[in-house]
Amino acid sequence: MKHGGLTKFSLQNLLGPIAVLIIMTFFLNRASTSLQLMTQFAICSFMMVLALQVFVGNSGVLSFGHGSFALLGSYVSGMLTAPTNIKSHALALNQLWHFLIPLKTNIYVGLVISALVSGVIAALTGLLLMRLNGLAAGIATFALLGVTYNIFFNNKQLGPGSQALPAVPTITNTYILLVLALAAIVIVYLFNISRSGRSLRATREDPMAAPALGISIFKVRLIAFTFSGLLAGLAGGMYVHVAGTFQVQDYYLEFTFMTLSMLIVGGSASIWGAVVGTILITGVGQILLMMEQHLPIFGVTIGIPLGSRAVIIAITFVAMLLWRSSGVTNGREFSLPRFKRS
Amino acid sequence: MALLEVSNLAAGYGKVEVITDISFSVEPGKSVGIVGPNGVGKSTLLQAIAGGVSASAGSVRLAGLDILGKKPEDIVRLGLSLVPEGRQIFSGLSVKENLALGLTGRKDKKGAGAAIEKMRELFPVLSTHENHQAGMLSGGQQQQLAIARALISEPKVLLLDEPSLGLAPTVIDDVFGLLRQIIDMGTAVVIVEQRANLITTFADETIVVRDGHIQSRLTPANAANADSLERSYFGAGE
Amino acid sequence: MVQSILDAISLGGLYALAALGLGLVFGVMRLVNFAHGELITIAAYTLVLTAQLPLILSIVLTLLVTSAIAFMMELAIYRRLRGVNPAIMLIASFGLSTVLQRVYEFIFGALPKSAVVAPFLRGAFTVGGVSITISSVITVILAIAILLGMGFLVERTSLGLQLRAAAADFKTARLLGVRSNRLIGAAFVLSGVLATCVAFILVVQNPQVNPYYGLNITILALVGIVIGGISSLRGAALGGFIVGVILSALNTLLGNGRVYAYSWLFLLVLIILLVRPGGLLSKGTELERV
Repeated sequence: MKHGGLTKFSLQNLLGPIAVLIIMTFFLNRASTSLQLMTQFAICSFMMVLALQVFVGNSGVLSFGHGSFALLGSYVSGMLTAPTNIKSHALALNQLWHFLIPLKTNIYVGLVISALVSGVIAALTGLLLMRLNGLAAGIATFALLGVTYNIFFNNKQLGPGSQALPAVPTITNTYILLVLALAAIVIVYLFNISRSGRSLRATREDPMAAPALGISIFKVRLIAFTFSGLLAGLAGGMYVHVAGTFQVQDYYLEFTFMTLSMLIVGGSASIWGAVVGTILITGVGQILLMMEQHLPIFGVTIGIPLGSRAVIIAITFVAMLLWRSSGVTNGREFSLPRFKRS
Repeated sequence: MALLEVSNLAAGYGKVEVITDISFSVEPGKSVGIVGPNGVGKSTLLQAIAGGVSASAGSVRLAGLDILGKKPEDIVRLGLSLVPEGRQIFSGLSVKENLALGLTGRKDKKGAGAAIEKMRELFPVLSTHENHQAGMLSGGQQQQLAIARALISEPKVLLLDEPSLGLAPTVIDDVFGLLRQIIDMGTAVVIVEQRANLITTFADETIVVRDGHIQSRLTPANAANADSLERSYFGAGE
Repeated sequence: MVQSILDAISLGGLYALAALGLGLVFGVMRLVNFAHGELITIAAYTLVLTAQLPLILSIVLTLLVTSAIAFMMELAIYRRLRGVNPAIMLIASFGLSTVLQRVYEFIFGALPKSAVVAPFLRGAFTVGGVSITISSVITVILAIAILLGMGFLVERTSLGLQLRAAAADFKTARLLGVRSNRLIGAAFVLSGVLATCVAFILVVQNPQVNPYYGLNITILALVGIVIGGISSLRGAALGGFIVGVILSALNTLLGNGRVYAYSWLFLLVLIILLVRPGGLLSKGTELERV
């Protein structure tokens, strides 16, 4: 993975991501109801990919466990905002712990709490995981994903177990999600150029030299892991309020693969990579979905067999890794094309 | 015709070129020493010749055959062996197993038994420790093992990277005595050495590398005169 | 009680085999092959789809198919990633694993394929008044036999010597003449053989094969090699064995709570890793340079 050379604030780095996000949201949101829903999901995915970029992109340590934080965020916000009578009467929740039933708040408080809860859990698990070297940490995060899934899938007292949590209130205005995403871009950018972010990238480039520079690998990784867990929790909260339901299976392997693909295909070393990756994978996924359903795209209908979409996306991912492991953006942030002075 | 011909060799790591223009040649039964300051790329040079790192320019010919760009495991079979810096013996494996690994580089599998016997003669200390873990040997013994391991494939050319490193003076004498035997048997030997005074009187020709290229070529004759010159370059006692 | 102990040992043996398959490839390439699970899956599919054939033929076919796919994995994908940084290799293997899972779903469908394989291995017999399942006994015997066979191969053959040398220091091994491509190819083929063994044992007890069949055992085997010590084949097998034994013990001891066996296992593993980051067979302070 190539390194992003971010060291100081440069407005043009933010220009691309922000502008592209605004423009795409504006046009797709009004195009059709299905595209509007796709856009809303895409913004949530982008938030998730941003969370991954903060940790994986800066530290070079792979995490398969961020789905856990999204799951937690989704669960927390979903449970806190679902109507009380649903929680007390729904069949899926018939073994729910009683104290969970009256807990109710609005969507925005729900989002904040989901981010905080995930952040705290990320900090706690990070205390253990960040002590491990890169490879062991990667495998351990896989275990983390497995544990979270294991617990939530089987436990009917915490939540709906393997079933869906119904009637979660939704955010219908896409621009609310957009504002959250734009704010996140700025905050992540500031983190990346901060001393913390730069120190973390130094450990990625040369883990042997870092302690000599006074950098504690454990500490900088933990900070980033916590921050990215927080963002992932927020993303999970956003997801649940777009989908209107919470289901454990939505945050397991498929989710992990898709979000990692967006990060890698776009380029893990930059925010611009997160933007590009999310757009590409979502776009290609949508087109392939329409081809699977034999729907016309711009007037042309190309049909592909059912199930091939999943295969094609996965192959694209591996192909990108073989071709250019630093992603489409090649590790760079967005910058305006330079015009020669005449 | 020289056995090993290195011409205008350039190599490095990634974008950093460590050596830019090195040329020398070795005849059978002759030796070449390579000296220069620390970090000047002497190890890189040997690794580039043996195929361990890729070279960016130049050519290397072994008995007339172009070997630049070939894989190290193929170069060994063509008759060139490298004893790497730090010896790099497999400390978890036994002495016998270390030697057996050296046999994989033999082109001619049939002479393996005879080669083993020859090594036993040249390196008697290894026979006594045959079944011991290589990591338990002393520094000097490990150096002998590393050389034996490289020799067992009966190379025409032997490259050694800092064979005296970490060894006591008497042991160094033994090692160089061994090398003299090997050279007398007809092998062409290239030795990279940190201690210039060791090698300038030993080798038939010594090249002084600085800033990635050859600064001067010395023979034992003019090495004595150049001794003070080198000291001024490398600092006393280095 | 006897059955429980036997279950624990047999599960341990099974996971030792799975972990060894992963360890072989890791040793020569420093690559954690997530897609090893998909080798187990394709082996299981092949066994189930050829179940009408005589068992020997079915097993031979499975060995061929699985080893071929393992070899292809290396040739087509991993060869191009040699020397790339470990995080890329890890995520590439995760990607390849996903590709294969989806290809299997595309070809075989999401619904499980099933057939009875080796029915003579089902059932139980009584010894001294205690009932013991045949499959657990056979698993233990098979696991021991294969581990011994692998041990012989690794300790006493030239190929094994080269594998051990490459695992310790691949660069120097090449300088001595070890052919990297052949050795890596051999490691993959061997991992395919081990995957077949694992699949056979699994399929006898659970013949419902779906595209994700090999996933669970691979994740646990991964955990196994990390706790056993990632830098040696012995460590890999030991780690796998321990994971299997603990899992089996948890299943027996937890009763109704056994659905959470995985979670308890991972917790235990995390604790082990904290005390011994390099794995159980390491000196305690060294970290694998990754």
